[in-house]
Amino acid sequence: MSIQIQNAIVEYASRRILNGIDLEIDAGEFVSIVGETGCGKSTLLRLILAEEHPTEGRVLVRGRERKRPDRTCGYVPQRYSLFPDKTVLDNVTFGPEVTAGRFFGRRGFREEALRYLRHTGLSEADAKKYPHQLSGGMQQRVAIAQALIMKPPVLLMDEAFSALDPGTRRGMQRLMKDLWHESGTTVVFVTHNTREAVCLGTRVIALKKNERGSAVALDMDVPHLDFDSDEDELARLIADVESSCWQGTALAHLQPS
Amino acid sequence: MSLFRIDAQPARVPSWVLSWFLFAAGIIAYFYAAEQRHRENPDERVMPTVTQMVRAFQEAAAKPAEGAEAQEAPQTLIQRVRGSMLATDTIATARRFLISVALLFPAVLLGLHMAMFPYMGAFFLRFFQFFDKIVALSLLPILFIAFGIDELSKIMLIVIGVAPTVILDTVNLTKSVPREQIVKGFTLGAGDFAIAYRIVLKQIFPRVLNSIRLNLKAVMLFLFAGEMIASTDGLAYRIALLRRHMGMDTILPYVLWVALLLFAVDLGMSTLNKKLHPWFQE
Repeated sequence: MSIQIQNAIVEYASRRILNGIDLEIDAGEFVSIVGETGCGKSTLLRLILAEEHPTEGRVLVRGRERKRPDRTCGYVPQRYSLFPDKTVLDNVTFGPEVTAGRFFGRRGFREEALRYLRHTGLSEADAKKYPHQLSGGMQQRVAIAQALIMKPPVLLMDEAFSALDPGTRRGMQRLMKDLWHESGTTVVFVTHNTREAVCLGTRVIALKKNERGSAVALDMDVPHLDFDSDEDELARLIADVESSCWQGTALAHLQPS
Repeated sequence: MSLFRIDAQPARVPSWVLSWFLFAAGIIAYFYAAEQRHRENPDERVMPTVTQMVRAFQEAAAKPAEGAEAQEAPQTLIQRVRGSMLATDTIATARRFLISVALLFPAVLLGLHMAMFPYMGAFFLRFFQFFDKIVALSLLPILFIAFGIDELSKIMLIVIGVAPTVILDTVNLTKSVPREQIVKGFTLGAGDFAIAYRIVLKQIFPRVLNSIRLNLKAVMLFLFAGEMIASTDGLAYRIALLRRHMGMDTILPYVLWVALLLFAVDLGMSTLNKKLHPWFQE
């Protein structure tokens, strides 16, 4: 088991955000977490990341509770995903360098970093640029390379493609799926876009606010579709997931597993 | 064309003319007023003419400083200028100024640690917030008693006057670094100090330099206060000394010289900042 969330409750100033979330994610799964804005998706991600801790309950990643974020989980946020003061290459070599205890010099990791950059569709010329010289899509490609070079057992992506235009977004989704197939990393992908959640995830978890405003998780047993699936089938599935989210209960053929 | 349109885009020439207009107007107004006063009173000393000021400045740049007068007369022009009153005063002030600015860098590190490490923040923050409100000049007599009237008291005055502001500014700048960057650092295997120095400090450093640049005038202000009260050399010492003799023909060029030096330091720091941090956009 890669991630276990056991009856996690999160409260801020007596306001309950997450209400007893139980979730188990196997190693190598690609899990999409979907839900409307403000329903607690990012809070759930921060629990897995160990940036936040549940008021009650436990979150285990690879069998252990962590006190703060570490190398177990790679992280690709929506914004501020790159260090602005470093070139693309320095951004990617940063992790291996600090892990190896090398404060200066990146020669040893240069080739590996370039390989990851090429893999995410970037050129050697891009490696010399600073993040502000790249488009949003290119920045997220670098952020993915930066996370993957560390070979994390779990990769957490928080609305990572939300700020991208539809064309770039679709390209990034395909790239992410390919990289997941190759790396075998467990991916938890938070999005408010149902289509993205359904097409990317092998499993979709919907977060829904209950009548008291705190979120509960619905594990959707959706058939696995991808970007080349029949458009009607995809649209039907998206509508089902969305209506299920609105109603707060899974539909007949979308029973929680 | 309307002067008060927020989307106005002045052309290059009008923009250039406007930016120099107040300089030109100030100079013309001064010359006119000086001319008038000299016409009424040929011994006028409050508003010296340009000729008087140029002569006085040349004298300051060539005349040996008090201590150097007894020595053998310097031979070359460079030696003469180096031993001059102006150069001696400038070097004395610059030395104090540079030591004080250098002492602000530990203040930056303290601010960084206060913002990064909550226990350090808890220990220092309230103290510096209070300390920042103390009028540094009011401490001057205490500093003279504690450290004597030598260099240390003047440098301490500057550090006490400016360091708390720089510390608090650094705390704010550090806290403005997005949380995502710190979390990202942890997930990439960086430890606390690697995050503090290699991620946060590097990101805030251009802004810290800007903050120090903005505080240069405060540094100079405290330095001048110290030099005017207890010093035997320095630009402010000279201005205070000449004030007793109504030596406005030297005081005014000295004031302009100080402004020019500060402007050059500011420009140098700004250029260095851009060179060192090509990624920085503000």
